[in-house]
Amino acid sequence: MIEGKIKTSYTIPVGPIHPAVHEAIRLDLSIDGEEIVDVDVVAGQVHRGIEWLGINRNNPVQSIYLAERVCGICSTSHPFAFVQAVEQAANIEVPERAEYIRVIVAELERIHSHLLWAGVAAHEIGFDSVFYLVWRVREEVMDLMEYLTGNRNSKAMFQIGGVRRDITEEQFPRIRKTLEYYKTAFNQLKTVFLEDRTIRMRTKNVGILKTTDALRFTATGPTARASGVPKDVRQDEAYSAYADLDIKAITPDILTGTVVGDVYDRIIVRLLEVKQSIEIIERCLALMPSGDILTEPKIAKLLARLKKAEGEGVGRHEAPRGECFHHVRLQGGEETLATWKIRAPTYANLMSMPTILIGGQIADVPIAFASIDPCISCTNRAIAIDSRTKRKLVLTDKDLHNLSVEKTRRLKDKLDS
Amino acid sequence: MKMLTPEEVVDSFNTILDGNLIDARIYQKEIAVKKNLYTSIWIHVKRESFRKAVEHICKLQEYPHLSVISFDDRGDSVELIYHFTIYYGHHLKALSLGLRVALPKNDLKIPTITDIIPGAIFTEREIQEMTGVEIIGIPDKRRLFLPEDFPEGVYPWRKDETGPNDMLRVLPGREGIKND
Amino acid sequence: MGLNSFKRALWVYHLNASSCNGCDIEILAALTPRYDIERFGIVLVGTPRHADVLLVTGPVSRQMAPRLKLLYEQTPDPKAVIAIGSCGLEGGVFYESYNLVGPIDQFISVDVYVPGCPPRPEAIIEAVVKAWVKLEKPTEQKVTQ
Repeated sequence: MIEGKIKTSYTIPVGPIHPAVHEAIRLDLSIDGEEIVDVDVVAGQVHRGIEWLGINRNNPVQSIYLAERVCGICSTSHPFAFVQAVEQAANIEVPERAEYIRVIVAELERIHSHLLWAGVAAHEIGFDSVFYLVWRVREEVMDLMEYLTGNRNSKAMFQIGGVRRDITEEQFPRIRKTLEYYKTAFNQLKTVFLEDRTIRMRTKNVGILKTTDALRFTATGPTARASGVPKDVRQDEAYSAYADLDIKAITPDILTGTVVGDVYDRIIVRLLEVKQSIEIIERCLALMPSGDILTEPKIAKLLARLKKAEGEGVGRHEAPRGECFHHVRLQGGEETLATWKIRAPTYANLMSMPTILIGGQIADVPIAFASIDPCISCTNRAIAIDSRTKRKLVLTDKDLHNLSVEKTRRLKDKLDS
Repeated sequence: MKMLTPEEVVDSFNTILDGNLIDARIYQKEIAVKKNLYTSIWIHVKRESFRKAVEHICKLQEYPHLSVISFDDRGDSVELIYHFTIYYGHHLKALSLGLRVALPKNDLKIPTITDIIPGAIFTEREIQEMTGVEIIGIPDKRRLFLPEDFPEGVYPWRKDETGPNDMLRVLPGREGIKND
Repeated sequence: MGLNSFKRALWVYHLNASSCNGCDIEILAALTPRYDIERFGIVLVGTPRHADVLLVTGPVSRQMAPRLKLLYEQTPDPKAVIAIGSCGLEGGVFYESYNLVGPIDQFISVDVYVPGCPPRPEAIIEAVVKAWVKLEKPTEQKVTQ
């Protein structure tokens, strides 16, 4: 039983033992025993005014690097959507080879992001050794990204009208070697995550999001697909090289035959997407067209062209967490963007958080919250308010994490006895 | 649910809105090697028929996908653009629909759509705090991203005197952004 | 900079002052078996009251500034502060935004600065070692305002 602490007026950002993927989570829980009755979401600590900077200070090429730093984990998704929006607004063509290179970089990022999430989910349940193992496996794709682009994060591959670096034929064997490694690693990951008794017990029927709720709250990405909604921008919309590749949205009934919408289904969707990404990269390597990589290689000419351009455009990309959306309007004669609106994927998924958490237990809050893969720069705090007993407890996220780990231990003892 | 072509979608709006449709534009582009088509539709409606247009979108697609509401400051009027996606879930058939509403600056009000689409609550809250547009009937009026002690009347996305230029931080040794 | 023996294990607390997470995952990556700073005895703890070193990332937004000060005061002396990433040094790419109130050293005194966007895990490990040397030397700690 948790001790009630006095509610303070500070929101102290206490990080749990591995703080990098958990920001200040302060929950004011009103509980009825151990059950949660109402949830409220409060955001705002990471607001850096990026759209304002793009409208008032930067020219469009500088805004690409600003868009990269919206989120460090999905640092390819935002530039991808942004350059598509600018190209639509300014009517700039993209060479075919550049489209394929963009897709390869985006899919490599998807593999890295899903493995990162898998480690965090394992940590929340209490399996720290799985966390370390999965992150070690992830280092292979980070090495590959460094080999291709020069950096592990913030790769700066995108430019308006193409990509900045080429992926040449000499680099293909190295890519194929990493993909072979991941094919074997995938089978091991599947065994660990989908067939372990304790993980099944902690994640099945926990944090359920029903199909109608996912549709009403406009959830996107693996959160929506795990609830049976086949929304996937790569499948639905013709953009970049995905239009040639016939992508199919992955829903959990591919593996299990039914859709429940719980945390276990989300694990299934993400692991199968890693496999799908490996296949997509292989097909891109096989189908890679030849040609230029940039429509306009000289930056001064590109900026002059953008300054004269007038129009508006919309860019969408399926980031690892969902649909990433950018809207840009260019005004003739102005050096900066006239309008810029960014919608990160977690923005949409966070609205489903109350439905996922209500009715569940406090000890399940860390894993249920982590299962929508919140990207912290896009979201911040969650305040859960329980109204029935009128008792307000302030739990730090260390308390929550400990509760979650204890529950795992209890369940394991029950299984073993 | 029958899937209409882009031209049929525009025609259906024309019929329903009966003269309140100011402008409609279809944008199409061929993509990559196989030259599949990407389609997006831009529609400009008057404020009085805005809710009717949103209800019509719900008839075209059950549970339409709303991405975000974006904002444009045009001098003495502002524009709100609602970005929808219909016909998702089918291979390469989704249509991107941008619904534009112009509001004069002396009367910045628009009705809410959270009763039709509950997933619009975050973006409506953000529009309220960032632009000063009042959304009538919104169930939750609190600020979303700005801190509680951010001054009232300062709207970061506006380009006029209510912009945040006084709140900028200038590093020692540098000049601030010049406003002309 | 000679370090012949580690007289004690260094406990590190990580604080994210509205960063984009790029630096944070490089800090986490430093814990994983590839770089493995835990073999030196460096451990991430969950509360500042147990920490010897504070790792701070990000440009500081308005909401996070009072918390930053509070956490700094909760950390007992002797302590060292490491500002990681270009955002913490001078604002990085965000330097003139309306919601940011200054790089980290406007609020707390910083001992080691690590530039980079994001810096590599090796750079972070070197920064922690430099802070360690500073702590091991018997100099007096400055009292902060």
